[in-house]
Amino acid sequence: MNTLGELERSVLEHLWAVDGPVTATRLRDALAGRGLALTTVHTVLTRLEGKGFVAHDESRPRQFRALGSREDHVAELMHEVLGQAGDRQAALARFVGSVGTDEVAMLRELLSGPDQGAQPPR
Amino acid sequence: MLTATALTLGVLAVLLAWPVPAALARASWPQRDPLVALVCWQAIGLAGGLSIIGALLAPWGPSLPQAWWHWVTRQPAQEAVRGDHWVAQTLAAVLALELLGVLLLSGVRTAATRRRHRALLELLVEPASAGGDTRLLDHPALVAFCIPGVRPLLVLSSGMVAELDGAQLDAVVAHERAHLAEHHHLLLLPFLAWRAALPVLPAADRAHDAVRDLVEMRADDVALASLAGPDPRRTLAAAIVAVAAGAGGQLPDGALAVTGGAVAVRVRRLLAPSRPLPPAARWAALASAVAVLLLPTLLLVLPAFG
Repeated sequence: MNTLGELERSVLEHLWAVDGPVTATRLRDALAGRGLALTTVHTVLTRLEGKGFVAHDESRPRQFRALGSREDHVAELMHEVLGQAGDRQAALARFVGSVGTDEVAMLRELLSGPDQGAQPPR
Repeated sequence: MLTATALTLGVLAVLLAWPVPAALARASWPQRDPLVALVCWQAIGLAGGLSIIGALLAPWGPSLPQAWWHWVTRQPAQEAVRGDHWVAQTLAAVLALELLGVLLLSGVRTAATRRRHRALLELLVEPASAGGDTRLLDHPALVAFCIPGVRPLLVLSSGMVAELDGAQLDAVVAHERAHLAEHHHLLLLPFLAWRAALPVLPAADRAHDAVRDLVEMRADDVALASLAGPDPRRTLAAAIVAVAAGAGGQLPDGALAVTGGAVAVRVRRLLAPSRPLPPAARWAALASAVAVLLLPTLLLVLPAFG
């Protein structure tokens, strides 16, 4: 149950929760319930650094902190999802793409029309 | 004789590069049967590429394998090699390489973007208790999307869950699952490549947009089949309008011409469905798709006339 993905998530969540630089040893102790070796914590931190979620300073021992809050990262992802760039749209299938305000009004009108099925399209 | 092959392929290439996709994009029957229309589009995309490359290669031999061989050994089929043969050959090679290269590149690039999005989501969001592949993203915007791939991911925003009722949410999820089940991203990939490889060709743009819209309609149709409730068509239409309104206003109104009112087309055909295509028309469309694909294939692979 300690998959790498899960570990990354719990380490990151801890860093978000403490809101300040933490050493790897402190992290291991904080996550004592999982019984992690210090090397595992370092592996996870390195992976998170590679993904741009965590940074460390040059003090000894190194202190790690989260880069940006969860909300920041969600906002960034949503910006890409809602964005118009062609490559991004190709990467995922969105339920409804972006529409203009005047089209929204027209859509509402369509829907509020009489719901007897035999109506011709307007 | 070789000229006849080259000419036929050339005419076919021109037809498939402009009038045929233009006519299909304008036609109204595709929204009555998106699946058949998608088959036709795939045939056009493939046959178009085959005939352009084939037409340029034809002077070199009666069939594609022979033409390649002649080119490699630098022996033309019949007449001496002329400068224009080399030009044609080079164009064919460049085009073939570009099409394949761009196809590969867009495949790799979208796969990388998907991987990044998936990693991000897996880090940011805990799996929903219901299904392993569904994630609830904490965000007020009304957004649902899926990331196709070996391990597909279906994402709903918390705004979506708050705004839509249960039946509407089921409709949204069924729509996204239809995309994943039928691998719609693969149907779209060749047209992304065409558009990237030949940005000057207006038909490439048009074909891509048509296929993108048809895939949405197809997913709507598949979703309807799996939905319970008294009026699944209205439920799905209401979900589409709610989401469009929730995420709406992001584009300046002038952009409407670009997005083409495809959402309105979806809503209309849900609320006032037109008759399904009669079987005869269906089969005729499928037969033409097969013919369009067979013609360049036969011309290229079978040794040409006499």
